[in-house]
Amino acid sequence: MWESLQQAGWVETVSDTGWLYAIVSIAHYFTLFIFIGTFALLDLRILGIADRRQTIAQLAEQLLPWNWIVFALAMLSGVVLFATAAVDYVPLGLFWLKMLIILLAMLASILVQIGMRKWGESPTIPRSAKLIALVSLVLWVGAILAAVDISYITGVG
Amino acid sequence: MLDFLQSLAKWLESTSLGTGIRTTGIYPFVQTLHFTGLSLWLGTNVIVDLRLLGVGNQRQTAAELSRALWAWNWIAFALAVLGGFLLFSATSTLYVANPAFQFKLGLLVPLALIWHLVVQRRTETWGREADAPAVAKISALIEMLLWLCVVSAAVEIPSY
Repeated sequence: MWESLQQAGWVETVSDTGWLYAIVSIAHYFTLFIFIGTFALLDLRILGIADRRQTIAQLAEQLLPWNWIVFALAMLSGVVLFATAAVDYVPLGLFWLKMLIILLAMLASILVQIGMRKWGESPTIPRSAKLIALVSLVLWVGAILAAVDISYITGVG
Repeated sequence: MLDFLQSLAKWLESTSLGTGIRTTGIYPFVQTLHFTGLSLWLGTNVIVDLRLLGVGNQRQTAAELSRALWAWNWIAFALAVLGGFLLFSATSTLYVANPAFQFKLGLLVPLALIWHLVVQRRTETWGREADAPAVAKISALIEMLLWLCVVSAAVEIPSY
């Protein structure tokens, strides 16, 4: 199944065309940096250590919903990159760990966004809010670490 | 010039700092530091750039937003530079000889950084109203393109 994905016409075109592959790689890195950077900032704001001149709601209004569009692009480019070396990625435990961390990070971020509606405009931030924001932050940094480890430890990607 | 840089590079990667990062398992953590720092840096830049372009809620002016994010913008920069320097120290000679790296650090980063400083400064006046002047919007767009160029060069480093 994974061989047929990797050998699909469009996937092979991306793999074999240098500039096309480069564009997909660059898109993946650029969009994920921006997404993680903006969401991490929101988490830091909820933790009360960044950007205290604004309320949480004010900051959130500046980066939603476009940052999730950016995230969607990061995922899309990620899927393409995965497809070009599917056979190599699938057996790697580290790769699936990265996917798990990303899933958990998305969950935490969704909880942050839902919770923000309650504590977005209030002057004091409940401890549960800070906890979920911290978890979200740690998980996104963890996702970066997992991604970096795949390349470092296995040499894939 | 390149010879001089190469001998500096050779010295740096032979230090216990460079050797330590290169040979122990700390390298992925250093890379994560660089990526996390640069993510926050890009994020804080792009939020203001997009606001100048009219994206994001109009309740706050771009100038207010820029001021609110100023501290973490530069903390992020410091983290990115620290992580970057540590990465560089591990395999300095390879980086110095790498055309993509030369392009990134020698041309693109200084260009993007100077542009960022100008935009950040100018946003004080440009961003006073809810809707920024055309020159502000073009400048904000250029800033994002410049940082995209920096990331592009960085992504190409392993190819050389």
